[in-house]
Amino acid sequence: MLKCGMSGSQVKVFGKAIQALSRISDELWLDPSEKGLALRSVNSCRSAYGCVLFSPVFFQHYQWSTSVKVNENDSTISNLNCKLGMKSILPIFRCLNSLERNVEKCKIFTSSDLCKVVIQFFCRHGIRRTHNVCFQESQPLQVIFEKNMCSNTLIIQPRVLAEAVVLFTSSQEEVTLAVTPLSVCLKSSSDEPMGLTNSVYSEMFVGPDEFDFFQIGVDTEITFCFKELKGMLTFSEATHAPIAIHFDFPGKPMALSIDDMLLEANFILATLADEPSRASSPQSLCLSQKQKRSNLMCSTNNSSKTGKNATSKAPGCILRKAAPKRLYPNETQIDIPALENCGSPIMKRVNEDISEVPESSVSDTEAAPGSSYLRKFSCMFFGAVSSDQRQHFNHPFDSLATASDSEEDMNNGSSSTF
Amino acid sequence: MKFRAKIVDAACLNHFTRVSAMIAKLAKTCTLRISPQKLNFILSDKVASGGVSMWCELEQENFFREFQMEGVSAENNAIYLELMSENLSRALKTAQNARALKIKLTNKHFPCLTVSIELLSVSSSSRIVTHDIPVKVIPRKLWKDLQEPTVPVSDVSIYLPVLKTMKSIVEKMKNISNHLIIEANLSGELNLKIETELVCVTTHFKDLGNPPSASEDASRDRDPEQMAEVHIDIRKLLQFLAGQQVNPTKAVCNIVSNKIVHFDLLHEDVSLQYFIPAFS
Repeated sequence: MLKCGMSGSQVKVFGKAIQALSRISDELWLDPSEKGLALRSVNSCRSAYGCVLFSPVFFQHYQWSTSVKVNENDSTISNLNCKLGMKSILPIFRCLNSLERNVEKCKIFTSSDLCKVVIQFFCRHGIRRTHNVCFQESQPLQVIFEKNMCSNTLIIQPRVLAEAVVLFTSSQEEVTLAVTPLSVCLKSSSDEPMGLTNSVYSEMFVGPDEFDFFQIGVDTEITFCFKELKGMLTFSEATHAPIAIHFDFPGKPMALSIDDMLLEANFILATLADEPSRASSPQSLCLSQKQKRSNLMCSTNNSSKTGKNATSKAPGCILRKAAPKRLYPNETQIDIPALENCGSPIMKRVNEDISEVPESSVSDTEAAPGSSYLRKFSCMFFGAVSSDQRQHFNHPFDSLATASDSEEDMNNGSSSTF
Repeated sequence: MKFRAKIVDAACLNHFTRVSAMIAKLAKTCTLRISPQKLNFILSDKVASGGVSMWCELEQENFFREFQMEGVSAENNAIYLELMSENLSRALKTAQNARALKIKLTNKHFPCLTVSIELLSVSSSSRIVTHDIPVKVIPRKLWKDLQEPTVPVSDVSIYLPVLKTMKSIVEKMKNISNHLIIEANLSGELNLKIETELVCVTTHFKDLGNPPSASEDASRDRDPEQMAEVHIDIRKLLQFLAGQQVNPTKAVCNIVSNKIVHFDLLHEDVSLQYFIPAFS
């Protein structure tokens, strides 16, 4: 189903992509298509998504095919639904500098019959190293995000961003990007109320002329996870390509992307939603998406033919700007394997905070009764595949993750799917 | 209380950054004492530091183009601040190609030492970087513990060998035992000894030279070959040596037999004194 080959220096870039995606999650989807080989990763809290798409011209050779399963009545066309654990694949692409020097050719091939990905390194001195990695059958998740519709776009050389990132310690969890038409500021943001923290507050102002492209439509300040920014940065240093940052207002996801002829990388990160009624309060991650996910899970199990008719109750997730709600994980009525506490320290604080905020009026109707959050990341993913994909064009700010079913679905939309 | 200072010279900035990096290696938390002529980094010999104490002094006019301070009161014209040394060091390290660096005492919800850096960048606009380092103002009643330590009358005073060599030897000795004996005499000989049941290791340094002693009588009475020794925790010595990235302009070791070892270093114009007590 997938058969591709690359040279030693291409392996380095490929390995860097895997390393960058490992900052997001412990799992990786290998998703080949006619557009190329996509590596996708979503974090457990569903607040970050990364996708690196290597176009067929990146490889020395690239072959891909779908498999057709014939049942009694119909045949289903299915893609390679391959999910790999980072623990298995990351060690294979360790020591990228030595791989670049020693590997003459690398072949990656799979077949879904065997549920195995084979990675072979043909090294100098006739040495051949073969890794067989088992994969789990799982449909990859995608995010549809209209990055070109964002009012703010910045394109910057990775070196400048690297110089800014050096200001912050590795223990810094979140950073805030504040922009006006005259300046851009990257600063540390703290979730503790002022006065209790012992850490250094740092900020850097960068003038507009340091950017390759500078378009600010709306003054804004967005806060997002630092770790994921660093992940994207290390990858961009390997590709030497400028990074584009697309964003809007707080709460709406932001996109970090690299686009060059051979590959396209996109990291979509949730940003902290600003709550006007509470000036400063600790945030929590939005996990109401658990509820949403039930829809997604149902739809992913359908075959591509029925995919379009899947439940369209919720037009997906949604950028909530509504008042926060508290999360009571036990109250969700879904019986999908509920997402465990993702272990983020931010998450834990949710349950300790007392919410004084009144019940919100949220656009979706699936909120569990009586739940309330505090300031939270809006989760941009995961909703049902609506029956009419054209709907999405009218709501460019709705973000959906759709299961990447088959080529059919992909050919239907002209919205940018990552 | 007010404090503002500015560095514009690149060499001064680099030197100050190196000093602060050295302090960060020597003491996790330290006291910064600001007075009209000097800046001091102080670690007092509390139980927390294991009896080790440090006094680092620099003349402010060697570093700062502008320097203004106003202490607690006219009679007590000094400011004592407690901070995490690493925070200051890291903030200064980001000022590699700075056009100017300003430090001032501010109060943003809590007292801070604000470091503002104007960085030169490739394009015409400059970048402004600001770090707010949280500090604790030390009240006057605690100042007595933070005064310049009196240099004890030593039995032997000797110049140290190249610190890098000394450090690599002490590092290897640490694997054998934590109990180190430093001994030296007035003939320019210094020994580092480790003694365990199974093995004894001694490193001999010769021809180091002894500085002219303060009191003539004491040195005349003393047999030049006689060693003065002190037993110390090797990890404390290693921490001291690890902080010395550059070989100092001058390095003297003073030993008070079985009591304390005192290191007196000079890095260009910055003096550092470090005291390691003997095992009690």
